Formats: sequence, structure tokens, C-alpha cells
Amino acid sequence: MMASLIRRLPKASTSFKWIHSTSAVYADDPLKHKEAPIVENDVILSDQEVKEREKLSHLISLPKEKTLAPISGVPEEHVKTRRVRIYVPPKNAMQSGTHNIQRWRMEFDNRERWENPLMGWASSGDPLSNMNVDFNSKDEAIEHCEKNGWKWFIASEDKPKKERVKNYGVNFSWDKRTRVSTK
Amino acid sequence: MARYFGIDKIGKLFSYIQQNGGIRNTLWKMYRMDEGKAGTLIGTDKYGNKYYEDPTQFYGRNRWVEYVEHRNLEYDGSQIPAEWFGWMHYKTDLPPHRDGNRKHYKWMADHSENLSGTTDSYMPYSTTRPKVEAWDPKKSTAQ
Amino acid sequence: MLRAPMFRALVLAQLPSRAGILFTTSRMQSNAPAKAPEKIEVFIDDQPVMVAPGTTVLQAAAQVGVEIPRFCYHERLAVAGNCRMCLVEVEKSPKPVAACAMPVMKGWRIKTNSDMTRKAREGVMEFLLSNHPLDCPICDQGGECDLQDQAMAFGSDRSRFTDINHAGKRAVEDKDIGPLVKTIMTRCIHCTRCIRFASEVAGVDDLGTTGRGNEMQVGMYVEKLFLTELSGNVIDLCPVGALTNKPYSFVARPWEIRKVDSIDVLDALGSNIVVSTRTGEVLRILPRENEDINEEWLSDKSRFACDGLKRQRLITPMLRKPDGEFEAVEWESALITAAQAIRNAPKDKIAAVAGSLVDAEQLVAVKDLLNRLGSELLCTEQKFPTADGTSGTDLRSNYLLNSSIASCEDADLVLLVGTNPRYEAPLLNTRLRKGYVHKEQDIAYIGPEVDLSYRYEYLGNRSLTIEDIAKGKHPFAQRLKQAKRPLIIVGANALARNDGKAYIAALQSFARQLKPEDKNWKVWNVLQTNASQVAALDVGYKPGVEEVLAAQPKVLFLLGADGNAVNKENIPKDCFVIYQGHHGDQGAQLAHAILPGAAYTEKQGTYVNTEGRAQQTLVAVSPPGMAREDWKIIRALSEVVGTVLPYDTLDELRNRMEDIAPHLVRYGHLEENNFYAQAEQLIKTQASSFQGDVDVNQKSLEDFFMTDSITRASPTMAKCVAAVKKAQATG
Repeated sequence: MMASLIRRLPKASTSFKWIHSTSAVYADDPLKHKEAPIVENDVILSDQEVKEREKLSHLISLPKEKTLAPISGVPEEHVKTRRVRIYVPPKNAMQSGTHNIQRWRMEFDNRERWENPLMGWASSGDPLSNMNVDFNSKDEAIEHCEKNGWKWFIASEDKPKKERVKNYGVNFSWDKRTRVSTK
Repeated sequence: MARYFGIDKIGKLFSYIQQNGGIRNTLWKMYRMDEGKAGTLIGTDKYGNKYYEDPTQFYGRNRWVEYVEHRNLEYDGSQIPAEWFGWMHYKTDLPPHRDGNRKHYKWMADHSENLSGTTDSYMPYSTTRPKVEAWDPKKSTAQ
Repeated sequence: MLRAPMFRALVLAQLPSRAGILFTTSRMQSNAPAKAPEKIEVFIDDQPVMVAPGTTVLQAAAQVGVEIPRFCYHERLAVAGNCRMCLVEVEKSPKPVAACAMPVMKGWRIKTNSDMTRKAREGVMEFLLSNHPLDCPICDQGGECDLQDQAMAFGSDRSRFTDINHAGKRAVEDKDIGPLVKTIMTRCIHCTRCIRFASEVAGVDDLGTTGRGNEMQVGMYVEKLFLTELSGNVIDLCPVGALTNKPYSFVARPWEIRKVDSIDVLDALGSNIVVSTRTGEVLRILPRENEDINEEWLSDKSRFACDGLKRQRLITPMLRKPDGEFEAVEWESALITAAQAIRNAPKDKIAAVAGSLVDAEQLVAVKDLLNRLGSELLCTEQKFPTADGTSGTDLRSNYLLNSSIASCEDADLVLLVGTNPRYEAPLLNTRLRKGYVHKEQDIAYIGPEVDLSYRYEYLGNRSLTIEDIAKGKHPFAQRLKQAKRPLIIVGANALARNDGKAYIAALQSFARQLKPEDKNWKVWNVLQTNASQVAALDVGYKPGVEEVLAAQPKVLFLLGADGNAVNKENIPKDCFVIYQGHHGDQGAQLAHAILPGAAYTEKQGTYVNTEGRAQQTLVAVSPPGMAREDWKIIRALSEVVGTVLPYDTLDELRNRMEDIAPHLVRYGHLEENNFYAQAEQLIKTQASSFQGDVDVNQKSLEDFFMTDSITRASPTMAKCVAAVKKAQATG
């Protein structure tokens, strides 16, 4: 706020000066000074340029539609034919940790892979097959896809986790149904 | 004098034509080998390729092979058998039939030419186990 | 956040309609008002959190995103509290407490990262490791092992374990518990998760411990097999490598594989799965958590039948030569031959029969093609009673498991008719068992006597009983009427009988009479057995092949129809049979032309499960050889026939599906049905009588494993059947 005020002040003064011709500035005998006179930039700028500057000093508004597809360098085929899946990565059933699944991820559809006849390695012609991007929220992922012009779909629901009541005492309840013969 | 003006070349041309057996054969030879020269026949290998020498040519071009006729234009350096290879490449001046020191063992493999580009050329086979087993209609009808 | 909210709203308005629906529904759910019981405040690492009374320390910590290490604790199993890994410090408590078993008290200050906590964890880890072999390099769990990870994070960086007497570490003999689970018992850390799973969820009280202290062993007490349809889940539960996947042993490491989320189609539940692939090969299938369907479990068939995807596959188009032999041909000639047969046939003599593994895309494409050619002869393999002439399947509530899989556990009285959920839908059975064990659910059963893994009231296998119940004469009818949340679950196979109409007429009108406490509670449920059946009926296929075969078709499409409904005997003699599918099974034997399609791991296909929830599979590997995605084959064929189908991409096809039945593309969403009154009216108009007794197809475990073309091709499933038969023979 302060900074913009300071920037405005000289501008106001120069706009007054602008009425005079630039020669008025130089009318002053340069020999009187020990060095070249300091001329405000605005004085020598063209009308057009001043207007442009004026615009820049305010908040700028960008056009609403932002598409990166034409300039991102992604081949057109991969923009138009791919489907992006936005999902929450599932927990690995083999492990109990949950730290790497609390985010949204985007992933491209799986394309054909083929096999190297010597070693059996798989090759793919798909440059996007490894492009998994993580996002904090679904909205961010969607916006990213929209910006890049990819078709997307949401494959997970963000439901709140079901709360369970856990009780150690249940182990000792005497009930024909919960009773187990093994420990 | 004739040599100075290169008239002896004309004489040589005529002798080549004569040795090749006429203009027609010379033209055919030139079409086939891009060369019409003739020399002394040193020997013939088991495939019928003929080996010539002409000491008047300069070194490097004074030994050559005329491949057997039925090969037409489909000839290639790998058709020269190993016996003649040394003579052709100036490793030795003794052609195989005049060299007494060449041993012949029965385990020596027969010469084979380079098969690249032909249907018999070597193709590496897949060393990976097939991942999907296809349905065999005959097997399952038998069940 | 630089984005203005208006901008976001504008972007959303431009989204495709389907995605928009998904988006808004999920948002509405998250805005639902939360219940507010009295909560108590505790502090986890000085972060305050309000929790319900009775919450354990571990759960409270999870609410603020602090994960306490654990081995024995599992969300879906009882608290054991025996691994001691979850010890945490509570302020003013002299000893560390086990977070998994200890309920929080008001104002507790829990320190999950204090010196005392860390020392406790280190001590526990040291004890565990002193008797755990250092065989991670040859262990199948390596890379996805809780013990490995937690030793790394919480263990000591040096060992005090010295073996100066060369006595060796504790070693335990391995057990043979079947062809699916490999045991390396020395690695066991006695968390008892497998024991709790077996006795609580699977209902097979076989696993247990013997001995104490250093001598403690987990086992079966006697030499026997772990005979349950859910045995594979103990592999997931085991936090170490003591129980591992036998068919997958020494096959791959977890960091080499690609994971693709998908849907299982080997039963009608549509369990969510993760397909692990490497180098274009499906290596294993793991369950994916879905609270509404499979919780966290997976049946053995779904998990282990994946090797069937690599056997008996159709990888080239084939044509039958005049001498009766098959000949592999190019796509072009196969399509031209098939198209010629179609063009030469009279318009109303072209028919299609859909098998059990067909996706909705193919169903819609075939239906569109045949309708455009002028034929209405489309049916599914499995019968379902329909009203005369018109289709009783116009009303979805007739053939769905209306009261969703998840709410089956909330019922207080369940009547099972002609279905063995334990083998037809193992994960529905775990729901019923859960209701039985934890929610005082009572279950009654009509059919041949089977083991359902819980006690049930056996009402016999006489169909007369059904009539009595429907008329209110049977004492059980009174109980159903008094029940607050009664359920009637009828097996699709019972309804597929010739007297299925009698079942549906009797039971549906009775279900209508019941007055559950909750107006929205749905009593009438059908348990389907085929993954494709609901989608097929939804898009307008007729159930049952009789009508179609009676029309004497000249060209017959078999869409993966391997269920022996169409066979050599009942097929018209001069009929040209086109088999489209992925396995060479019964259907392919009949064919004159074979068009190789993709299995469920190889295509992006829509399946609707028995409760009417549309879900989609994703492409994990590409179809083998010359096989192609099924709808694309139909699309190509339509071009050759000269009746071009108007869709070129999956999106266009799905738009078409949305026009036919919008729920088919609302993935993950359960569609409500409210046509009970009309459904009953339709069926009631024709009563028919029962014939014979109530029966189920899958009576014991050996009937469970091989039910469709994929499982029949699977060597693992064959081993399972052999093992079960052997175990039963030896008693």
C-alpha cells in the first residue's frame, strides 16, 4: 500500500510536467550543472507507453480461460486421446501404513506395452505412462487437467472414514456368538 | 614410342577382347564385373570361382576373382573359400594347389558364405518364456 | 490460493455432465452435518483433539494424522494388544500404555514422540528382531513389510543380540496349510492377526496358538488345510513374511510392479481390487478398500484366479474349416466371414447370448448392432423369471440386492432362500457373519444343508416352506413380520429354475407385506451370481436362452457364453455361431468363427454389481496377441456388415450408454429404486407352482473355485479343488 503511494506521487508531479514540452526541461543551462540533468523517464516516454505503465500499476486481470495445451509441448495425440483418472491412491493391502495415501493423484490410462524378445523387459511408447502427479485436493487436480486440456474423471469419493469403536473388553464378553475356541 | 603415346593400350584392349572370347563376352564381363581385364588363370576353387593374376597391373589390382557364372550379379566376397582367401589378400603368393604345407583335417568345416539379407540369415529367437498360453482347439476337444 | 471462486465455478460449469454429477454428489455428502455426541478433549503431542468417549489412544492419534506404529492392531479385527509396538507415553502415567487397547481419558496428554515412547518402541523392536530371521533378501514380504519399515523407523541402529553359544535363533517348523498360503513360521512375530481373522471374519476356528513365551507357535494344532474361501486375506494381514502368497512366491518385488485399480468380476459383488502387473503380465490381485462392498477383504477365487488369465486364451481370430478343424486367421477374413453370415441371415434370425463376464460396453454395442439389423433376439445365459410376454425385468428392483451390501449387516432377521452366500458371494457372507457376531442378527435358511460359517435357523429344503411363509402360516413368517429390519435374500440360481416365477411371486408379495421400522428399508433382495447379469438386464437383454433358441436363429453371437446354457444339443443345426470372448472354453467349442476379446484386466469396462452399483475396470495389461477390446470388435464388425455403429471412442460409447441407462456411467454410485409396488403387480398376475425342493449349486468349498471360463483355466484353482477333495477324502 505504502509502496504504491510512493510510486504514485512522482507520477502525479510528472503528469503536470508533461504539459510542457521536453525542451522546457533542457532549457535550463546544462553547463550550470556538473553532470547531465536527471530527466524523469516519464517525460521522454510516449503517450502509449505511459498508458501501458498506468495499467501495470493496477491489479492485472488475466483472461479466464487458461489452456496450456498449445504451449506445453505435449503432442496433440496425448492431449486429445488420453483420459486422466483422478483418485486417492488406495492403501496397500499388505501394509498398515497410511501416510502415502492422504492425497489426490492423477494418472493416465494404461497403454500397450510390448516385450523385448531377448530379456523380456517391457517397453512402452507412452511418454505419459509414468506421469503421476499428486495434489492436495481434488479441485487442484481437476484444475490442472483442465488447464492442460486433458479429459479427466474422478474415480474416488472423499467420504469421511467410518469410525469404529474398539474395545479390549470385548475379548472377555461371554457370548455364544463372539466366543472363539482358539486364541 | 608407342608406349609414350599409349598406343600399347589399344593393343592390350584387343588382347583382352581376344582372351575374353569376343566383344560380346567382354561387354558381358564389363556389365557383370565393371571390368573387362583378362589375366592368367591361376586356379579354380571347388565352387567354380576362377582366380586370375596379371602382373602388369599394379599391386592390389593384379589378383582378382571371377565368380562362377551361375551367380550372375549375386556374388559377394564371402563366397571365396578360406583356401583362396590368403592368396587373394596377398598373405601368400602360393595358391592352395601349389602350397604343400596346407593341412587338411577332417574336422575342418566347409566354407559357408555370409547369409545376411537372405532368407537363411540368422534370426535371434525369443529367449523369454511366453506369458500367455493360447487355447489349442485340438487339445481341448480331446478332453 | 490465487484463484477467485467465481473462476472455479465457471470451470465447473463447463465440465462434462458426468463428471459434474460425480463432483456435486461427493461434495454434498461431505457437507452432511456431523453428529455431535459429548466429546472429550485429549492432547496428542500437544495438539488438542475432541474424540468420542471410548476411543482408543491409537484412534485419537489417527484423527490428528499421527500414526502410531502397530503390528497386532487391525481396524477390522478385535483388539489383541499383544505386540506392544504401539506403546506411547501418557503424561503422569508411570509406565507407557498400549495405544491400541487403552481408551482415552479426559485431558490426557499423549506423547507419541517422547524419549520414553521411542525407547519403548526400540525395546519392543529389539525383542522382535532377536527372534526374527534376517532373511529379508529372500523373503516375499520384502519391500512391503511392516516389520522392515518399522525396524527402519523405530528400531535401534545396533544390535545387542550376540549368539556366543551358536545356539541359533528360534526356529519353527513350517506348516502346510493349503495351496494358496505359504507359511514360513520362523518369521512369525505372533501378532495373532491371522487367528483373529479366521475366527472372527472367516468363521473357521482353525488357527490358534500353542505354547507360551519363546515356545509360542501359531498353527492349526493338527496337520490340516486352512479350508476357507477367504484364506488369502491372512496373507495381507500378516505384517511380516510368515504367511505369503504361494502362487506369487518369488515372482516379483513390490517396487517392480505397476498397480492398477480395478473391479473383480468373478462374482456379482464387484469387489474392488488392485491388479499388480509387470512386463505385461498380471502377477497378483490384491483387495482395495471399499467400505460399501468388500471392506478390505477379497475372496480366494478373485485373488488367485489371475493365473487363469494366462491360460487357454484366444489370441487370434479363428474360423472353422469345412473339416471341422479350427484355423487361425487374420482379423480381416474373420470379420468378413462373420459379416457375410450376418448379411445372409434373415433379419430376425440373428441372436446374441451374453455370458457371465461381459461388460456393459459390449452389451450395448451388440444390442445396438442387432437392433439396427432388425433383430430383438438378445438374451443372457442365466434365466430370471419374467412376466409373460413382457419382461418383468423392466423393473430393476426385481433383480437387485436392493438393500445394498453394506446394510446387510444391519438387518436383524435374514431369510436366505436357495442361495449359499458363502460361496456365491463370500464377502456378502462376511457381512452377514458380522451382523450375526456383532449385531445380534438372526439368519434363517431354506435350501440343502450347508455350512455358512455361522449358526442359522434351518427351515429345511422343501419349497412348501416358502409357500407357507408367503401365506403367513409358517411360524417364521410371524418373526419376519415382527422384525425391525428384515431381509429376504433369494439366490439368482433359485430364480433361474423353471419354477422361479413361483419363488418370486410368493416371496415378493410377502416382502411387500412386511412393515420394517424404517420406511426406506428394502426387504426384497436377489443375490446375483454373474457379474454381467444386472447390466445386461438393465440395457434390455432378456434373461434365459430358451426364447432365443426357440426362434431358430441363423446367426448366434456367443458373448463369452461358457455357462453351458447353449450347448451342442439345443443349438439349431444350421446356425452360424460366432464366439466372442477371451477363453477357449465351452462356448468356443461350438463356434464357427472365434473373435478374441479382452478379459476384465485388459479393458476399461463397466460392470454393474448385484446391488446396482456401476463400477469400471481399468486396463492393466493389453489384450494378448491379436485380441482386442470387445466393443471395438463389434464396432469393426458393424462396419463390415454395413450398419455402422455411431461411436468411435469409448467416450462416445459411454454417452450412448448414458442415453440408455444413465446409472451405467455413474461409477461408484448406488442408484435408488422404488418400483416395488409395480413390480409385485406385474409378477402377481401369473402364479405358478413350485416343482421339487430348493437347491443351491455350490454346496461345499470344492464347488467354489471353478465357476467360469477364467477360473476353469486357472491351475491354482485346479490345485485348490484337488486339495479340498483330498482333505475331505482323508477326513
